[in-house]
Amino acid sequence: MPNPAAEAKPVDDIQGDGRWMSLHEAFLRDAKEKEPEVVLIGDLLIAKLSQSRLWQQMFEPLHSLNFGIGGDRTENVLWRVLNGELDQIEPKVVVLLVGTNNYDNTADEVTEGILAIARAIREKQPTANLIVMGLLPRGEKPNPLREKHAAINKRLAEELQDIPLTTFLKIDDKEFMSADDIIRRDVLYDFLNLTVDLGYQKLCEPLLEEIQNLMGTFIKVEST
Amino acid sequence: MSNNPAAEAQAPQDIQGDGRWMSLHNAFLHDAKEKEPEVVLIGDSLIANLSQSMLWKQMFEPLHCLNFGIGGDRTQHVLWRVLNGELDQVQPKVIVLLVGTNNFDDTADQVTEGIMVIVKAIRDRQPSTNLIVLGLLPRGEKPNKLRDKHSAINKRLAEELSSLPQVTFLKVDEKEFLTSEETISRDVMYDFLHLTSEVGYQKLCEPLLEEIQNLLGTFIKVSSTS
Ligand SMILES: [Ca+2]
Repeated sequence: MPNPAAEAKPVDDIQGDGRWMSLHEAFLRDAKEKEPEVVLIGDLLIAKLSQSRLWQQMFEPLHSLNFGIGGDRTENVLWRVLNGELDQIEPKVVVLLVGTNNYDNTADEVTEGILAIARAIREKQPTANLIVMGLLPRGEKPNPLREKHAAINKRLAEELQDIPLTTFLKIDDKEFMSADDIIRRDVLYDFLNLTVDLGYQKLCEPLLEEIQNLMGTFIKVEST
Repeated sequence: MSNNPAAEAQAPQDIQGDGRWMSLHNAFLHDAKEKEPEVVLIGDSLIANLSQSMLWKQMFEPLHCLNFGIGGDRTQHVLWRVLNGELDQVQPKVIVLLVGTNNFDDTADQVTEGIMVIVKAIRDRQPSTNLIVLGLLPRGEKPNKLRDKHSAINKRLAEELSSLPQVTFLKVDEKEFLTSEETISRDVMYDFLHLTSEVGYQKLCEPLLEEIQNLLGTFIKVSSTS
């Protein structure tokens, strides 16, 4: 049965300014010109990280490239991976966060979309470490998308554990909520996107720890 | 004006299913009731993202600003929010409006009329407040039809707004956002649409803050002599 979330597809330029393809081409240029140790790829949650203080302080010194595009769905990130964005580089760590924009796909479809991207990344970069990030909760109050994200994360945790050099990293949902399960605007300012300070801190502290662990391991493996 | 979707107030359908838009509207109503802003900014993601920039904390928060931006909003959505209470409980000295880039499938005339209807709705609710309408920014890496449309909208807005009292049309020169080859640099707009948190917002906000401070100064002077 066809799964639109797992079939590579570029974004239609319905708005008419060609931005998506411009960004893809900018990423291809970056990949050719720079020698990143870390590449982050995904949707707006990745893209906006490039505008946070943490990016300058923590990610730039690690030689990171940001291949996030706002609005991207799993099928769009899959297309970008299959069309060169990871071909010219030899990063030690690749970070993937995508899926929240597949709001009209089922949990299984989105999970399979993410797994298809993970497999494509593994083929392009067989020796790199891959960190797949769990989907974040969204919406002020409990809602069907939060439940779907929980189901996706549960399946990802199972399916990813047998894949070598692949880590599933999920931040506890409670980090983003108050005690009554309401999303905090000082963490997700529009109940979806992370605030530039506190929000990205909650996502990136565990992520940076994992990246640094992996880079340490990688260096150790290389030197032995 | 017949059947212009850009000028008919509308709450967007919650197609994604998490109710975020209405949650944000309710959060803004709550803010409007609790806080006493001197400045209110209303619009789309270009306004919303400003709240996440370095300049917001440094320059806007000290001026007692509220940010009523929602990513993806079109003119009809901002109009709905203005008609449904977001400016009813506040007495700001300055209101800033920036919206229209998401009306990508409406004509220049439709978008201009949509913005003009919002202006009228704001003036009806806040007749003594200064209103700054920001011109639409260029978008897309290379010249494209949306850039041309935005120029046409800005030209019409400049004409239509010039006769309205206490309304300022503020357009930042497009060249500020473009290279000499007329491309947009990612240092200014990281995705060829949204402003970077430092350089990009500086280009928009330096003239905006100057205008706001002028207006706040005038307002204080006028209040103290009356
Ligand atoms: Ca007033």
